[in-house]
Amino acid sequence: MTTQSTPTHADAAPVVGHITAGRPGVLGVFAWEVTKLAARARARWTLLVCLAAPVVLVVVLKGQQRPPKDSLFGRYIHESGWALPLLILGFAAQWVLPLLTALVAGDIFANEDQHGTWKTVLTRSASRAQLFWAKTLTAMAFALVVLVVLAASTMLSSVLIVGHQELVGLSGQLVPSATAARLVLASWATAAPPLLAFTALAILLSVRSRSPAVGIAAPVVIGMVMQLVGSLGGIEALRPLLLTTPFEAWHGLLVEHRFYGPLVSGAITSAVWCIVALTLAFTSLHRRDITEG
Amino acid sequence: MDDVLAVDAVGLTKRYGSLTAVDAITLKVARGEVYGVLGPNGAGKTTFLRMLFGLIRPDAGSIRLFGQSRDEVGTRVLDHVAGFIESPKFYPYLSARRNLAGLARLDGLSGRGAAHRIEEVLEVVDLRDRADDRVGGFSFGMRQRLGVAASLLRDPQLLVLDEPANGLDPAGMRDMRALVKRLAASGLTVLLSSHDMLEVEEICDNVTIMRSGSVVYHGSIADLRERAPAQGHSLSTDDDERAHALAATMPDVSVVRGAEGGLVVTGAQADIDRYVLAVVTAGIGLRSLGIDETPLESLFFLLTERTTEVTT
Repeated sequence: MTTQSTPTHADAAPVVGHITAGRPGVLGVFAWEVTKLAARARARWTLLVCLAAPVVLVVVLKGQQRPPKDSLFGRYIHESGWALPLLILGFAAQWVLPLLTALVAGDIFANEDQHGTWKTVLTRSASRAQLFWAKTLTAMAFALVVLVVLAASTMLSSVLIVGHQELVGLSGQLVPSATAARLVLASWATAAPPLLAFTALAILLSVRSRSPAVGIAAPVVIGMVMQLVGSLGGIEALRPLLLTTPFEAWHGLLVEHRFYGPLVSGAITSAVWCIVALTLAFTSLHRRDITEG
Repeated sequence: MDDVLAVDAVGLTKRYGSLTAVDAITLKVARGEVYGVLGPNGAGKTTFLRMLFGLIRPDAGSIRLFGQSRDEVGTRVLDHVAGFIESPKFYPYLSARRNLAGLARLDGLSGRGAAHRIEEVLEVVDLRDRADDRVGGFSFGMRQRLGVAASLLRDPQLLVLDEPANGLDPAGMRDMRALVKRLAASGLTVLLSSHDMLEVEEICDNVTIMRSGSVVYHGSIADLRERAPAQGHSLSTDDDERAHALAATMPDVSVVRGAEGGLVVTGAQADIDRYVLAVVTAGIGLRSLGIDETPLESLFFLLTERTTEVTT
């Protein structure tokens, strides 16, 4: 059942010159992923929306006669430019942030399935592990860029349009403008761990489903279901485990006697979700037979 | 180093549930050889090539490329290997040049060296004029050529091409075959998968023919020619079912259903004459009879549509 023959063409001249290839590092693969991402209209539009939408929102809310008093900090949006970024943060955490990160993270692996390019990249010198971590790094970096752009645009537009007056805290205490600025910044920063966890979840769904639609939509739906579950009574033991709970951890920063317990438990919850989702995603990709494309 | 085989696959097996896609295939390709893997669709050629590239893990057996296995050296096993499986795929929203630049990066190439190399391979496949166009607008043939360019980018010693002329128009097929022959003549080891006997006959030195995941022939094209039966004939009747059934009483001729309808009859000329006479005598209307296949094609159909295994 075997055959072997002597070389027949070995002495001929090469068609192209010889070149010595190196070994790609994760950062090299990461640079390639960033290049691809930058070429995608979806990524560019997402960042543009993050930049422009808060400005529009601030202008619209500023013009409203009746502020949304039943929302956290809603009643103060005409009185301090620091209230609106917190109102928007509370709203964004419900589904906007999971959606924004899923737009890239939910697509970054499934996109290779969609274009049939797994076989193209996996027949080069980069390993599956390098590709996995480069893609993960890209999705995580994009999530953080989205958060920073959204926070910066919201805070700047709100302060410029409404002003930088003192802020009324959750205990009714008056927070000086400079302190309010730091607290608003810190509040937005506390959204990073759960946002990264949602990114990891979207990555897992992207790897497992091989469908960009599922990778993008499912994290949003899961987030909404978690919020619904979190709002139910009698599930106090379960609530800290939900990925939506850490999005509310910043509330402890805006009271007179600050407490940091929710921040710590939120960071732990986010880290656990991250580790579990990425481990499952990595294992799935590593073991997968690439039969399509 | 020259004694080391380019491909040394031993007992390679892949199963999907109860289906054995590749069944204990052993295949050895020497350096500098142009080797064909031939078989009809579903024979297991592509599954074999995917295992060679590490895209699919075999259930049993081993593959060594230039003396190295994936278990020992990881992705370094592909250091001297390039090619494409089925139709090559690229990112449609990027230009050909940017696609190649990204793939070069995955090979650890960047900067001026990579840029020069990209120009070089684009020239080889005659795509320099379209290099800045998005791949999404490329024709099938252009993507095939870009696939060859992407393979040459990493300066392979073994080029693996899975049905490179598949889906191309006659001119595209001619150009692709000419390109493969030119690459082979340059000293590359080429492993070519195809379902086209003529293509393999034209390009390859040695061939493995597969059917339903198993090897039914392996040896040189010259040996294969010697084994080839008489010219194949295409036969069309007003009742192909009965004409086909009639062949069961005549063991000296092979009658199989043609890919595009009708029957394909192979055997010695005298036996074919007797069979045709028997068809007419049986009251079956004869509509057409003509030369259908080259002898090698006839042998290919015999090998891949019957259970016989031939080895050298």
